[in-house]
Amino acid sequence: MSMNKPTQFDVLVLGGGIGGLQAALELAEQGFSVAVVERDASIGGKMIRLSKVFPTLDCASCITTPKMAAASHHPGITLFTLCELGKVERKEGLLSARLVQLPRHVDEDKCIGCRQCEYGCPVYVPDQEQAGLTARKAIYIPFSNAIPQLAVLDPDNCSLCGRCAKVCPTGAVDYAQPAREFTITGRALILATGFKLMTDYPERAYGPASRQPNLITSLEMERLLAPHGPYMRVLRPGDGKEPDSVAFIQCAGSRDINKGVSYCSRVCCMYAIKQAMLLSGSLPLADITIYYIDIRAFGKNYEQFFQNAKAMGIEFVKAKAMVVGQNAEGGVDLVYDDMESGEGAKRRSHDLVVMSLAMLPGCDSPPMAEVLAGPDGFIKSVSPKLAPGLTSQEGVFTCGAAAGPKDIVDTIVEAGHAAQEASIYLAFQGKGRAAA
Amino acid sequence: MSGGGGQTDPAKVGVYICHCGGNISDHVDVRKVEDLAGSLPAVAVARRNSFMCSDPGQEMIVKDIAEGRVNRVVVASCAPALHETTFRGALARAGLNPYLYEHANIREQVSWVHHGPGATGKAARLVAAAVAKAALLEPLEPIRVEATAHATVVGAGPAGLKAALDLARRGIQVVLVEQSPFLGGNLARLDRLFPTGEKASEMVEDLARRALSHELIQVFTCAGIAAAGGYVGNFSLTVVRRPPQTQRDLELLAKARSSGLPPGFIPFAGYLPLEPPSAQEQIDLRTGAVILATGFEHYQPHAGQYGYGQLPQVVTLPELIQIMAGQEPGGPLTVNGRPVKSLALIHCVGSREIPGLHEPPGGRPLNEYCSRVCCTATLQAALEIKERFPETLIYDLHRDIRAYGRGHEDYYLEASRRGVLFLRFAAENPPQIRAQAGGHGEGLVIEMADTLLGGEELELETDLVVLAVGMRPGPAAGLAEMLKLSRGADGFLLEVHPKLRPVEPAVVGVYLAGACQAPMDVGEACAAASAATVKAGGLLSRGYVELAPFVARVDAQACTGCGACVEACLREGALELARPPAVAKALVNPALCLGCGACAAVCEPGAIAVAGWTLPQYEAMVRAMIAGEAGGEQA
Amino acid sequence: MSSRDLPPILILATEACAYPGANSVGQAHLGYPDNTCIMRVPSPAMFPERFYLECFDRGVGGIIIMSCGVECPYEGAYEVLAKRIDRVYQLMKQRGLSADRLRLTAICTVCNRAFIKEVNQMARVVAELGPPGGERAAA
Repeated sequence: MSMNKPTQFDVLVLGGGIGGLQAALELAEQGFSVAVVERDASIGGKMIRLSKVFPTLDCASCITTPKMAAASHHPGITLFTLCELGKVERKEGLLSARLVQLPRHVDEDKCIGCRQCEYGCPVYVPDQEQAGLTARKAIYIPFSNAIPQLAVLDPDNCSLCGRCAKVCPTGAVDYAQPAREFTITGRALILATGFKLMTDYPERAYGPASRQPNLITSLEMERLLAPHGPYMRVLRPGDGKEPDSVAFIQCAGSRDINKGVSYCSRVCCMYAIKQAMLLSGSLPLADITIYYIDIRAFGKNYEQFFQNAKAMGIEFVKAKAMVVGQNAEGGVDLVYDDMESGEGAKRRSHDLVVMSLAMLPGCDSPPMAEVLAGPDGFIKSVSPKLAPGLTSQEGVFTCGAAAGPKDIVDTIVEAGHAAQEASIYLAFQGKGRAAA
Repeated sequence: MSGGGGQTDPAKVGVYICHCGGNISDHVDVRKVEDLAGSLPAVAVARRNSFMCSDPGQEMIVKDIAEGRVNRVVVASCAPALHETTFRGALARAGLNPYLYEHANIREQVSWVHHGPGATGKAARLVAAAVAKAALLEPLEPIRVEATAHATVVGAGPAGLKAALDLARRGIQVVLVEQSPFLGGNLARLDRLFPTGEKASEMVEDLARRALSHELIQVFTCAGIAAAGGYVGNFSLTVVRRPPQTQRDLELLAKARSSGLPPGFIPFAGYLPLEPPSAQEQIDLRTGAVILATGFEHYQPHAGQYGYGQLPQVVTLPELIQIMAGQEPGGPLTVNGRPVKSLALIHCVGSREIPGLHEPPGGRPLNEYCSRVCCTATLQAALEIKERFPETLIYDLHRDIRAYGRGHEDYYLEASRRGVLFLRFAAENPPQIRAQAGGHGEGLVIEMADTLLGGEELELETDLVVLAVGMRPGPAAGLAEMLKLSRGADGFLLEVHPKLRPVEPAVVGVYLAGACQAPMDVGEACAAASAATVKAGGLLSRGYVELAPFVARVDAQACTGCGACVEACLREGALELARPPAVAKALVNPALCLGCGACAAVCEPGAIAVAGWTLPQYEAMVRAMIAGEAGGEQA
Repeated sequence: MSSRDLPPILILATEACAYPGANSVGQAHLGYPDNTCIMRVPSPAMFPERFYLECFDRGVGGIIIMSCGVECPYEGAYEVLAKRIDRVYQLMKQRGLSADRLRLTAICTVCNRAFIKEVNQMARVVAELGPPGGERAAA
């Protein structure tokens, strides 16, 4: 980390996704100093990795990058990337967060993001930012619209050939850079630690042999659909063929007491419909099917979006579909109970199948020991009606998917709410201190 | 505020070309670009550096300015998104107005996309164009608009009360305007709230008491906005209070007085803070921001819709909630004096209407949207009936069960466990309700096709049908017109963008809180209320609003007062003609101007332009680009 | 690839969408003809009809307006722009200028392929038609 960054702030925001950034921006606009702590090498969270977003279908990057740039340029906001959270404690009235910054092996103050190191590096590694479908180098800028635009070296794959250090015009490469532990403090804390997907659902539900290249997750489909995705078009990963039939399995892990979680993940209906619409744009001849239990299109303009998808010819089948195998052509075999026709169990193959996986909390347990989680594992709100952003700890707030599955619109609104609750708390705390 | 023009010193442009450590200089002959730039008449100095963004790079600029060599700056480097603010900062440090700066993008738009001599030629053209613009730049200042630290909240439901409290707790004075004599809005008409089970009445009382006792909040009931004008930081509103007139209000007030109120809570009405006015009165407000929390109204089924209004045993869900709240413990559920042993709950009444399938009488626009809260509210009612009247047989007739929120799915699971029978109908084939033959209207027959059983035709006999009615926008139409706000096709107030600016309509200084914008539940409405107040608070807490300087400016000497710009202006009130006795001249209100330049395009004498982006600047850039093209020929 | 013998192409790119889109093309190192010049504009609604005509008079071979489309941050400006461009087409016709020399399109911040497609298409048009007025001589 840059040695000259401040360490004392009014507010610490854990998580640099869209929720954390929005909360940070609102607080900084009110004159508070804010630290944003992000585990990844770039801020932007899940949203910057998406293709287009419902229900407006504008490109995710066009909405996220202005907020990322605003946060990185704001004089009141300090970004801490590549930082794992150690422990958060309350010390002398302040919230103190112990951070471990993983080595970037690139000096933040020297790197100018010119990518000479990346071009020079001879090592190719599957790029997880593109669902592992294309390659990146062992030293690289995380992705094209990453912020900060700084290179990061992946020590697991680096061959220590020295080429990047040789071509770097500013001498920023530092193979020996150690991990760095340090503490930052704040008067208030916002937990915006987001979600992750239940990626082991195929093993849980369909058995250990169910994994196959053309059975993909919804976030992998986002990359296939993104204009700057791995192939710049939709091809199935198994063999690079253009799929003629694509299916979505809804509630893959959600609303599934036996194999998954009991709750609804809230966003999957809408993103599956969105992906289906984008697919029918890029593959006009393909058959697209969504297997669903209930279509939960509850937000503003969502139902109209769903009805448009139906009118476009996307097939909606009310059934819980299960993966049962792989066919000779590399397609995925499904079985489902066809309730609407009353014809009972049916078997069907699709060239490419997307699982709309359940959302799980981004952190396995709340980042501060005293903050309670709900029975679903997400951070508990102590006042879900009046102030959903309040946690069980005074001065600690939450927003977005950290407090339960949530779409982008609801996350952004809740981020504003959490910021307002924090600002009220800080103003009150300030007054209390002045009086004392 | 800075005036139009007035910049007289001759332009001395400094050009600084960045190598970007080879990123640029490997493909662009930077020395040649430097020479070409140096030969331009407006250029005083042209220099190069390996990294213009580094401290030594910036110091070159600062030194040249400080020593009087340079009064305009062009840096040719990476995309402006990365370092334009860095270099503007360098200008400011050197004491030069930061807007006397122009950027030439020769990395992303030259060295990374072109190679060979063509790259050098293009870089030189871009630099020449930037120099041409720089020579015409004028100093700009951010526009400051004084803002009154006062906000007005319209609507005293949960979102309005929450918004008022949020703002007051941030030290901002608030006027809360409510059209009825009561506080609490539709929340007061609920019983228990999902998924916490807390009493709605307790939440209303708590919010109302806190708002009424806060020294910074002034509450006007029986009040509406009669006129509105002004702009961000400086709105003027006319609030008119009238004695209550509706039959419902008069009855409720009589009831309240008989129980010794005000102040206090009346079930299914709200919190009565004080006696309503006995005569009309008018209050004129100056306020810095307006928060709309005008909420929703329950959809009212039309006569005969599912038998409503014709069969007495067909009621809406809000009606049932009130009936159940008044019911003594013990015995069966009783509605309209008749015991209910079985009932059917029908979802999506007045929601999710589909063009072509649904044709409401009277040409009412279709409610194509989902009302979001009714599914879980219906499940909650089913569970409450099972709890209090366990013998009741309950059918749930739905299209989809949208128990999306945290804890909502548990209601669905519990209802299934408790034996609620779920049947599903298709939008094109809704259930039909009729009275049982030979009965006296007490028994009902429901005919439907259950899509979960392959479309099997069913006939259900029940004692009651409950319609889960959707939401309609609250009474905001007049106010929306006064404040020039847009409404969506669904009738709800429209935000600029659901993700970029989710609680802001197109009018700066006005914010949307809660269900006036779209159906939402109490928790969501309260979150939206604070998302609105964090914006308003950011605006008002400083006492002024700072706006970007890139707005229209008029050269009064050149303006002929023809009014074409006013005609072309996209934002009402942003441009007007000065009224006699003054000579007619266009006048810009920078607080309202969008900065789009639609005015500049129609101004014959070229008297109006967007500051920082003027037409003469663009024309100069094109000329320089063409000349550079010719110069490239020689090179 | 040097296109110095070809008339220049002017690209008016909106600050919110197309200009960052052009930078995204740069980050991806996708090449396109270099007889292009991209100018950053808040909203192209500010240019009068005569601006376009004067550009052609001065020798600009083609103009691509890369807007934000209906996502335009200036409410109503895109509609105004679209109407104005219709009038510019009429004026171009009167002067014997091919309508292919002017394109109104929408480009997003990561629309790399669409950007390249538009630029290459215009480059072909300009290569074919030559300097503005060339089509008159041919006719």
